[in-house]
Amino acid sequence: MEGDSTTINITETPKERKGKAPLLAAPPASKPVAPKAPKGGYKRCLAIFDVVLRLAGIAAALGAAIAMGSTDQTLPFFTQFFQFKAQFDDLPAFTFFVIANAITAAYLALTIPISIVCIVRPHLVAPRVILIFLDTVMVALTTAAAGGAASIVYLAHNGNSDANWPAICQQFNDFCQEISGAVVASFLAVVVLMFLIVLSAFAL
Amino acid sequence: MKPSALQLGVAPPENRGIAVLDFFLRLIAIVGTLASAIAMATTNQTLPFFSQFVRFRAKFNDLPSFTFFVVASSIVSAYLILSLAFSILHIAKANLVNTRVLLLVLDTAAMGLLMAGSAAATAIVQLAHKGNNKVNWFAICQQYNDFCKRVSGSLIGSYAGVVVLILLILLSGVALTRR
Repeated sequence: MEGDSTTINITETPKERKGKAPLLAAPPASKPVAPKAPKGGYKRCLAIFDVVLRLAGIAAALGAAIAMGSTDQTLPFFTQFFQFKAQFDDLPAFTFFVIANAITAAYLALTIPISIVCIVRPHLVAPRVILIFLDTVMVALTTAAAGGAASIVYLAHNGNSDANWPAICQQFNDFCQEISGAVVASFLAVVVLMFLIVLSAFAL
Repeated sequence: MKPSALQLGVAPPENRGIAVLDFFLRLIAIVGTLASAIAMATTNQTLPFFSQFVRFRAKFNDLPSFTFFVVASSIVSAYLILSLAFSILHIAKANLVNTRVLLLVLDTAAMGLLMAGSAAATAIVQLAHKGNNKVNWFAICQQYNDFCKRVSGSLIGSYAGVVVLILLILLSGVALTRR
């Protein structure tokens, strides 16, 4: 609770001690001017970690998209009318997976400049709020892609006797391994994006 | 004394408005996720014909993705009900920082879980509607009409919950900047 009177602290400057001070001291500033260097110390650290995580996320998302997009397995036997081939675009969930992970990798690459702005100017708030919002939307998109592909991969491994869906992994081994690896990489990208959101929250 | 991130400060009055909006959005999300969990969990359709050995019945736990969807939706709606307490606390004391950060982090996790469940269920629903010729998966919706309609409808509630959770995260972020 403030009292009615305010005390004015007049510090003794070195000039005063040497006797060169002016007769009337200038009124002290109401707030001391804070030095710039230690002000955003931990925020700058978090921003640097943010950029590193973004690079890791690009690797994960791009790896997932490429792993899924390059699936192509043809079985060595065929009948008169059919050739047994498995590609990612046979299943719409996988097509969505490739597109969504490509979008996520592109987004992470495009937001590295914003992250660098956060390193250079750690006290700015607007870039961090933008990054939190866009990262959240990207978490939703990537989780959607990863979750959808994961449920199809689970079906491919196990089949479903109630719906009469056979487990195709028993025939298409390599295809199954590639799509499973792609789903794992996509979930890694989701974890990276969540860490980015938490970092931005702590830096706000 | 410069305020650090973990120190109480004086919050502007807009933070109280943000906290009230946060509370109402949480109520909407609770309704959405709870409704979708219940709608999916109460699916049960038995076809009027049967053979000697097999009875044609469709329930949500015939498909593991739907089971995961019900579990995820229930967990997220339970979390949202518990986080209402924090929301009310933020209305009362609008300048808390630590609990807002905690709520933001937990909201992100909940949104991820809910979206994963919804996506898994959506992939199966798409398969059930269209089937897939290349892998010989037959479209079961042609027989199980009611089951399919119910399952597709329950997805709407959970996607609404995801959108609301994204808005909640944005609100928490904006509230954290105002201190």
